[in-house]
Parts: sequence; C-alpha cells; structure tokens
Amino acid sequence: MTLRFATLATLAALLALGGAPSGALAVSERATLDASFSPDRLATPTTIAFGFHLATGEGAAPPPLTAVDLRMPAGMNYTTTTLGLAICQPAALLASGLAGCSPNSRLGYGSAYVEVPFGTGSGHEIPEIQALSGPSPNGNLTVLFYANGLYPVSAQLAFSGEVLPATGRFGSQLAIAVPLVASVPGGPDVSIVSVTSTIGPRHLTYYRHVHGRLVPFKPRGVSVPERCPPGGFPFAADFTFQDGSRTSATTTVPCPAQRR
Amino acid sequence: MPGLSMNARSRALAVAATLASAALIGAAYGGAASCSAASAHLAGTLSLSETGHLHLTSHHSFTLNEQGSASGTISGTIYIHLNIVSTNRVTAEVNIYPRGGSLTGYATASYRPSGAVATFAGTMTVARGSGRYAGAHGAGLSFTGTIQRTNDAVTVHVSGRIST
Repeated sequence: MTLRFATLATLAALLALGGAPSGALAVSERATLDASFSPDRLATPTTIAFGFHLATGEGAAPPPLTAVDLRMPAGMNYTTTTLGLAICQPAALLASGLAGCSPNSRLGYGSAYVEVPFGTGSGHEIPEIQALSGPSPNGNLTVLFYANGLYPVSAQLAFSGEVLPATGRFGSQLAIAVPLVASVPGGPDVSIVSVTSTIGPRHLTYYRHVHGRLVPFKPRGVSVPERCPPGGFPFAADFTFQDGSRTSATTTVPCPAQRR
Repeated sequence: MPGLSMNARSRALAVAATLASAALIGAAYGGAASCSAASAHLAGTLSLSETGHLHLTSHHSFTLNEQGSASGTISGTIYIHLNIVSTNRVTAEVNIYPRGGSLTGYATASYRPSGAVATFAGTMTVARGSGRYAGAHGAGLSFTGTIQRTNDAVTVHVSGRIST
C-alpha cells in the first residue's frame, strides 16, 4: 500500500468520521443468511454452503464484524466424515499460504466482500477464503479460515472457529472470532459485507499413500440428517460487531424431494 | 467320560471345576478371592487392564459397530458400539467374551477429532457379566482410545477394578 493511498485513506476516514451524523452509533444492522446442501439427500454425505450479507438500514457499510456464531441443524452426522485428515498450523498458513498446509486439511473454500469505510462505493472482493482443519486446543473441531486479501487492504489473515454442540433444533454451532483488519495503519477497520463459504468435499481432493504412491481421493463430507424436520433444516447465525451491536438471521434448507 | 457312573462323573466335574477356579483365582486375583466350585464363578475383585484392537463391521446412523480382540487381564473377542452423540461426546456399549463368560459395560467419554485420529477418554461402568463373570459389576473404570478416521479402526484401553 503506497503512502499516497494511506494518506488519502486516512483523510477520507477523518472526513467520514467528522461528517457522520450524531446518531451514527444507532444504525441498525441487518443480516441475511443462505445455506444449502449439495447433494441435498437425506443421510448422504454433502457439502454445506453458507453465506451471509450484512448491511445497515441506512445503506452504509456495517460496523466491523468481530464474531459470527453459525448454528446448524440437529442430526448432521459427523461420524464418518473424512474431512480434515490433516491439521493445518496457522503459522505455516500465514508464512506460506495454502502451500504451507497439507491438502488433506482443506475443508472448503469461499470468498468475501469487504468495504473500506471511506465513503461509499469502496467495496472490494477478497476472492480467496479457504477453510481448513486447524489445531484444536480445546478438543473441539476447529475450522481455520484463511483470507488472502490483496487490494485495497493487503492482508493475509488466519482466524478460527470452533464447532461446538448446540441444543434444540440445532445440533452444532460454528463459533468464529473474526479479527479486526485495519484499512490503513492506524485507520478504521474494514467492514465485512458478505461472505460465502463451503464445508464439504466439493472441489476438494485429498491424497493417501498406497504402495508408496500418492493416490488422490475425494473426502467424505458431513452427512445430511436422516430425517427432515417440518419446515426444513434450520440454520441461524448471530453476528456481533465492533461497536457491541448484534444482529441475527435465519434460513432453512427445504426438505429434499421424496425419492420414489 | 466313558467308564464313569453319573455320580462319579459329577464328582469328577466338581473337582475339575474347583481346580480350574483355583487356577483362575491364582492367575487373576492373586489368591485374594474365594470361589464357588459349583459354578466356577469368581467372587471378589478383579483388576482389569485391557487393550482392544477393533475394526469397523458396520455403521448405522451415529453408531460405529466394531469387532476385534482384547488382551490383558482377560482376553477374548470384543465388540464395541460407539455412538457419537455430539461433536465432542461419545457413548459406548462394550462387550468382551473371554473364555467361559462375558462382560458388558457402558461408557461415556469426551470425543476429540484431530486430524487423522480422533481420541476419546472417559469412564466405563461394568453392568453385568455371565458365566465365570456372572454378577460382575463396577464403575469408574478408565475408558480411553483412538479412532483412525480413514477406516474407523478403534483401539481401546479399559482399566480399573470390578467386583464379581
């Protein structure tokens, strides 16, 4: 990032802050959530795709996101999944990117759209988000997210979420602590506007040694529940922002059509 | 036993059972327990330390059905139904079939998948036994092990004292 860009960005940020209405802290965040299974068949290993979009009622970028808690339906079966047969160490990921980790640690992939809070129209896509199996200090399944941002904010981030048990209609939750990313040194933090990601074998290839040779294979995903609850499979997400505000969103994956 | 009358045969069986029981007590109890010659049933306490190596025979829903061999204080065929009840908890029914009897236990344990291996650690209750282990019971036995996630092969360790 050049000094000129940094100076302009800082100036823009100061202007934005100075011009903000006094009620700016009272903006209301809105969230939408999407989820799907592929394939969408009961009791079948699948790839879970999920995405969220954040906005404010005023049309501005939301405050920087600090936590996401994604709850998934009860009955998702982790028993026989072979996802995450290797563990990716965050330090290796940050040092070498994806090449620093075994392909057998990959869980999924996605992208994000971020906005630098220097007025409007400053959104940029982070085309590469990778989900990997990370070390689990608390003994829970850990999903490591790697975001490789190049422009306007050059930052490689590794942050993690723990898969925890949930109750009621939900069987598990992915609790993600999202780090703040400064747009420029000392400047305001980047706002995350949307994220899409998968957790599952789609487009993933693992490798195993067979008689001294590396043989590719497709990992087995988490399985769709055996029964579909009335109204479909529920997903929900809670979002926490830097300013302490929260919002939430829900969605359902419709029950798959009955096979005859 | 050709050539023996029914009474003689019964006496011979009783003597054999007594001798067998005494040998078993010497091996497994260190001579600290008593026995019943009629049923060859061991009474007292038994310090178990078992290791089982099992392979997946089938899986249904959240349950892995495993079969293998156990060795240690007693040895025999071992079956485990390992039920993954949440992302970090498992329950298990464990059946061991040593010569002349069986032991059945139930375990709960934490479950920690980490890369190619998932580990579990918790406690097991021995609920019942049959044959030589009729009346066996015990609680708080250590129950630990691993699951190879590529093929769901299980290694399990059970240790602790049971009453018989």
